[in-house]
Amino acid sequence: MSQAATVRQERFVERHQAEWVALEAWLDARSSAREARANRRGWSGMADHEMPARYRRLCQQLALARRRGYSPAVTDRLQEIMQRGHGLLYRAPRPRWRRALEFLFAGFPRLVRAEPGCMAAAAALFWLPLIAIYVAIQLRPELASALFPPEQLAEFERMYDPNGAVQKLGRSAETDLTMFGYYIYNNVSIGFRTFASGLLFGLGSIAVLISNGVMIGGVAGHLQAVGHGDPFWRFVAGHSAPELNAIWIAGGAGLRMGLNLVAPGQRRRIDALVDGGIRGAKICMGVLFMLVFAAFVEAFWSSISSIPAWIKYGVGAGLWLLVGAWLWLGGRNPDVAIEDRIES
Amino acid sequence: MLDTYREVVTPEGVALRLPAAGPVPRALAWGIDLCIRLVLLFIGGLVFGLLGDGGMGAYLVVMFLLLWFYHVAFEAMWDGRTPGKRALGLRVVASNGAPVGWMGSFLRNLLRTVDMLPVGYAFGLVASYADPWGRRLGDMVAGTLVVHDVRRHDTATTPPEPAMAPPEPLLPHEQAAMVAFAERAPRLTAARQAELADLAQPLTGQHGAAGVARLYGIANWLLGRR
Repeated sequence: MSQAATVRQERFVERHQAEWVALEAWLDARSSAREARANRRGWSGMADHEMPARYRRLCQQLALARRRGYSPAVTDRLQEIMQRGHGLLYRAPRPRWRRALEFLFAGFPRLVRAEPGCMAAAAALFWLPLIAIYVAIQLRPELASALFPPEQLAEFERMYDPNGAVQKLGRSAETDLTMFGYYIYNNVSIGFRTFASGLLFGLGSIAVLISNGVMIGGVAGHLQAVGHGDPFWRFVAGHSAPELNAIWIAGGAGLRMGLNLVAPGQRRRIDALVDGGIRGAKICMGVLFMLVFAAFVEAFWSSISSIPAWIKYGVGAGLWLLVGAWLWLGGRNPDVAIEDRIES
Repeated sequence: MLDTYREVVTPEGVALRLPAAGPVPRALAWGIDLCIRLVLLFIGGLVFGLLGDGGMGAYLVVMFLLLWFYHVAFEAMWDGRTPGKRALGLRVVASNGAPVGWMGSFLRNLLRTVDMLPVGYAFGLVASYADPWGRRLGDMVAGTLVVHDVRRHDTATTPPEPAMAPPEPLLPHEQAAMVAFAERAPRLTAARQAELADLAQPLTGQHGAAGVARLYGIANWLLGRR
């Protein structure tokens, strides 16, 4: 009879119990690296270097237990130990500051340039409506009232009134710090949503890009048309480069993800999505940096009204050049490229 | 298939069985996390309110962090668990059973934006009922999975009925069922034990309590107690 041939469950447990208890004790005490360092001296159980071998033995025992049809009490316990060991052996390396800087200077621009089609499409979807609306309002100023309700237009005009009582540009009496918080909260949320909504077959990103282009073009066009252009341009010159470019880059990442859903190519749809998603999430980290930087400039530099216009425009132009050079030239170092390819 | 195990074959060649969690416990965990975040926001409002205008800016930054990074920070640094998930015994893992990394967690939480559409997590709910492992859209794209923590079965000791060979040879899965019954039945009421044992009447030939005793005997024999 086959039942007699296999080792009985009781005896199997008895024979290996000590090993399992030792492994469990090791996992309890040693799985956190910080605790392990703190108690280096006092530890008297299983040695650390034995762990991989012990873990593999346990995997064998689990496979055996499953094959022989041992009860869930045994297999579940072994599986629990195995899962803990698996999590420990196959965890991702910790993020390092050096890697983060490398990503910022090299990896991010390279990721943006790796999607020329999607990025160009996103830039067009953002800039064309922006410029078109701006020009249209210069020709027919009454168009602005079709885009915004009258009280909002009045609010814009009050904020950038060249003869107004407001001392600071573009805002009422709130402090710079409050606006800094507001810009981060609002703008980064818009950036993240521009990317994430790309999962709706790319349509979400397209909608967000166009509507943002129309809004920004509308505000700029209206203020220029009613003669409040000077304070407005002085205010936006500084932070425009990081802020506007971050929006269409986020949209481009969203388009890539949506496109991978619609046309996955010679991959499973889910694999294409995962690939597009991970690239997009990385791009979002860069977008986060750009927008936080923009918020900083907007809150603490753009708002100072005592600085002459030519310095403001000069700084604005400088930032446009810097952002452009960063995106165009960053990470064009072949050595880094190879290293990066191996690691990812 | 009714069970929601996802089998992942590890590099050691053994299948890791991950019990995927369904939408209901996940929604509850999300609700708990929402309450925690609201309480933190409230406390933040009080503290930063005292600091005046500058405090308002800090408050907005805290709001931003709680909105986008609350889940990410907990999942990446606390073994895939937020406080709410911990309360419900849930955990986020990568789809190969490894711990979820920063990028995976960031992505799955970014895409909550889409799962929330059009209202009340409707997309996420439909996706997780359609997916065999209960994943919402964000989980699919990020390659993550929410699983139940493995719960330890504290083995109830099988009553020491005299071991008894089964009247006919049993197939392996039948043997496993016998042993599983013997290990779990002592925690059930007598009536339920008898009800379950009656299912095996063709084998035991007994009814009620006598049938239960028979099954314990067979299980003890299978376990090797003779």
